[in-house]
Amino acid sequence: MKRIDLKDVLARTVSSGYGDLVTRRTGEAVRTGIEAMLAEDDETAVIDFGTVRLMDMSCADEIVGKLLLNHGPARYFLLVGVHAAHEDALLPVLERHHLAVVAQDRAGALKVLGSLPESARLAFGCLADSGPALPDEIATRLALTPDAARDALQTLCERRVVRERGGHYQALR
Amino acid sequence: MTRVVEVPTQFDDRTFDQFARSYGADGGGRVLFDAHAAQWASPYGLLGLLAAGQAITEGGGEQPLLTLPQDRDVTHYWARAGFLRHAEQFFELHGKAPRSVARGESDVLLEITSVKGADDVHDVVSHIQDRAASILTRELGLEAAATMGFGMALSEACQNIVEHAGTGGWVAVQTYTWRRKLGRRVVVIAVADAGVGFRRSLEATQAKRFGDRWSDAAALEAALIQGVSRFRDPGRGQGLAGIRRYLNRWAGKLAVRSGTARMAMVPPWDDDVPLADQLPPFPGTQVLMIVPAHAETG
Repeated sequence: MKRIDLKDVLARTVSSGYGDLVTRRTGEAVRTGIEAMLAEDDETAVIDFGTVRLMDMSCADEIVGKLLLNHGPARYFLLVGVHAAHEDALLPVLERHHLAVVAQDRAGALKVLGSLPESARLAFGCLADSGPALPDEIATRLALTPDAARDALQTLCERRVVRERGGHYQALR
Repeated sequence: MTRVVEVPTQFDDRTFDQFARSYGADGGGRVLFDAHAAQWASPYGLLGLLAAGQAITEGGGEQPLLTLPQDRDVTHYWARAGFLRHAEQFFELHGKAPRSVARGESDVLLEITSVKGADDVHDVVSHIQDRAASILTRELGLEAAATMGFGMALSEACQNIVEHAGTGGWVAVQTYTWRRKLGRRVVVIAVADAGVGFRRSLEATQAKRFGDRWSDAAALEAALIQGVSRFRDPGRGQGLAGIRRYLNRWAGKLAVRSGTARMAMVPPWDDDVPLADQLPPFPGTQVLMIVPAHAETG
């Protein structure tokens, strides 16, 4: 799993004097830097926000929005070290593009951000809190019909925030 | 022949249209901006004055004159706010300018700072996060997350200049105590340029859609309410919406004036109108953001 420190990429592609991810130009440079680091055979890229203080929406769009749009179908992205102000910048971007992504805060709690049906969001919460589960288990926990639970899990898989292995569904982590 | 443009004695967003009317009045010749009677100017007023000077200079007009306030304290404040440093580029200054300016603890969180490119936006945001975040937290009771949001709103407002104005502009941030209107402290951000304005920026992609209704007001509506941008990229046009969301969360005010129109997001504590049209024309775009302190803090 490739771990990409945004502060390092910022220093390498724009300036070592900056601690904030602001402006489209910076976002584009950082995204290009990340794209160069994505290995062909790496299924999951972990992007570390923990060292970045502030991110504006233009940067969020250039980095996360475009990474998910351009590379989301081919790999999984996990954002770590995400704090509330980062979320404020990320949420409108994800909603505008109908995207979703898994974010982990500094305490390690997982959350799915972005545009998702409520049943899928709840199903993700179950998987994040209790670990891998079968569709019937999710149906029981959320009081959904088996078909509705499968639909919710299928949506999460299509958005690449959940993986299915041997019938079990697991939140990206 | 010299044409005199009066600078209001209390020069802020409320008296800006009076200034714009005087600025746009018919008459050729060299322009004299007369601020000798000025008693007070907000960052919004000072940036408007710079934008007027920039528009004349960049338009090829003769360098305008500016008479500085007679009141020594007022001139000192204009200097401390960084106005005089920038004004020298556009105006022939008349009157007594202070030789040195005391710095240190000040209500000026960010001096008038020119914004031309992405690097300037980085510097502005960095300055606010490094030096003003504690003031925002202490004096306005904003949580850490809110000071981050403040930086984000500031960044997006400055980027409008870089991306759309077609020329440079300025930003300034200051805190005040608004005793009469609010009884609390506020932080005020002003961002202004003398560039192409919203209507011209959006004309190529939006004018046809609006047809006869296309105007400065329609352009503001398209940008602020509908989130459209001159760029085809679907990710564009989110900056102003983000500013609106941030200010709405903190009961703040946003007002954007461009050309002959001004659109405002009016919080309960203010009595501004949401849309003012057919105002005296003024070049570029002027943005005002006000964040009030939490009630228990200010």
